[in-house]
Amino acid sequence: MIWQLDLSILSLIVVCAFATIMVKDLLSAAIIFGAYSFLMCLLWTEMGAVDVAFTEASVGAGVSTVLFIAAVHQTTRRVGFRKSGRGLSKAIGLMAALLTGLVLLIAEMDFPDFASPFSPASLHLSPYYITQTLHDTNVPNIVTSVLADYRGFDTMFETAVIFTAGLAVIAILRRYKKDDRCELPAPYIISEGYPDTIIRFVARQLVPFIQLFALYVVAHGHHSPGGGFQGGVIIGASFILLAISYDTKMIIGLMSERSNILLGNIGVLIYAGIGFLCLLLGANFLDYSVLSKILPATDKVMARSHGMLGIEIGVAIAVMAIVISIYINIISCGKYKNEE
Amino acid sequence: MDIIIVLLSVSGLIFFFATTVGLLRFPDFYSRMHAAGKGDTLSSLIMLMALVLYNFHEFNLASLLVAAKILLIGVFIFMASPTATHAIIDAGYESDIQPWTKEPEEES
Amino acid sequence: MQSIISDYNYWIYILLMMIGLYAMLAKNNLVKKVIGMSIFQTAIIVFYVSIGAKKHASIPIIAHGPGHDAVEAAIDITHYANPLPHVLMLTAIVVSVGTLGVALAICLGIYRRYHSLEEDEIQEKLQ
Repeated sequence: MIWQLDLSILSLIVVCAFATIMVKDLLSAAIIFGAYSFLMCLLWTEMGAVDVAFTEASVGAGVSTVLFIAAVHQTTRRVGFRKSGRGLSKAIGLMAALLTGLVLLIAEMDFPDFASPFSPASLHLSPYYITQTLHDTNVPNIVTSVLADYRGFDTMFETAVIFTAGLAVIAILRRYKKDDRCELPAPYIISEGYPDTIIRFVARQLVPFIQLFALYVVAHGHHSPGGGFQGGVIIGASFILLAISYDTKMIIGLMSERSNILLGNIGVLIYAGIGFLCLLLGANFLDYSVLSKILPATDKVMARSHGMLGIEIGVAIAVMAIVISIYINIISCGKYKNEE
Repeated sequence: MDIIIVLLSVSGLIFFFATTVGLLRFPDFYSRMHAAGKGDTLSSLIMLMALVLYNFHEFNLASLLVAAKILLIGVFIFMASPTATHAIIDAGYESDIQPWTKEPEEES
Repeated sequence: MQSIISDYNYWIYILLMMIGLYAMLAKNNLVKKVIGMSIFQTAIIVFYVSIGAKKHASIPIIAHGPGHDAVEAAIDITHYANPLPHVLMLTAIVVSVGTLGVALAICLGIYRRYHSLEEDEIQEKLQ
């Protein structure tokens, strides 16, 4: 918590936020948004939130920027002027923002001191998590143990929400019939990559190492910043790298729509399945300590650690499949085959 | 040891500053990308070297592992950053951006 | 000085939230509105994470490995940042990327149907 670094990064973040919404070109706005996400990631590392910074670096600065650029590629870069009523909408927006800001500023006077160890948020429940997590679960990364064990229900529904988002994108964009209301230009050609030797070679060499690193992040989430989400998003990003440097059709051939949805399902199934396994063995839902009955040579504490690893694997599989699926649907606008 | 770390960090900073000045002041897309690509890679590698040396204040197995991981990051940046620069310049070339030429001097 | 630094942090978070809110309300382009939504979400996340920060505290991973004796020694809670806001915000970030995917898919669908991403042109074509 170095306050000089804090304030300088915050000022840069405000400049980036202003620039993102004021720029007249959508591609530039998407790229400045990527820079904004990276600065946020730096700020959170400086505040000591390394897991959150890792997730933001992979999800926000990586996949979000690619999704924005893919959407801009399929629509238009142009930002037009509003023909009438421009002053009114700006005035209403400014009024609403200023009023809300004023209310929040009045509430801010009652906030506890910034970064004080005795603020009310740090005094009630979190001392139990900090002191008892090694004794209960033998996992040094407190964030992973709270996410996967103490608050396991939230994470299960979060995985279900990601899966639902993938389904929603398919429901909105996917076209099967020859003619549809959405009037894609005919003949419709899926974006073909420019066959550049250097980019294809380097991408082909790097992708196995990226995937190996992602598996390391998933498996080492108990001892270092990481876990299921970050690892899953990094594998998804490696597939997106292949799709960008080669061809979207190659990725559609590798990870077809059916296998994406199947993998997303399997991820959520692994998570809920481990929970049901605990029910069948006689304890509460998602209470991993009874897994010591079926796992060889583990006691109750190590069984919780292994249960956490199992659900992290489920989360990684689900997130990987859905990230690839959302990207393919946005970049190809729902049509997977070329139309003649 | 500390002097070397400070020297490396400051020189990395100087190269980053030079990169930024080049990014803002060059007249043409291609020269700007040239400055950005090369300066970026070089300064990142110098600062990573400074971090590796800072890590060796206490010399045990854990710090060796951390140093190996930082060196792997350096290798990755060395491979990926010039490729990204190549991709951007290629995209500019395909979009028919004309290189800057010096205006012909008027004969007086 | 201390209170100015503390208040300055909170003011910047509120300023970021209001930038996002203004972009969602007053901008004409749909993708700009989506960007405003993302800025709003990340500003709220930064506010929550700042609740978990502690002065002179380290990351919330209990020190283990050679030279650290965490199992026997008592763990001092002022040495570790508060992990609970980090957990909540991890969920928030991942859900926000799912929401972003769906929002961009809706923008894409609207563009294919009405051939415009501007709010007023779409409202004209709707009537």
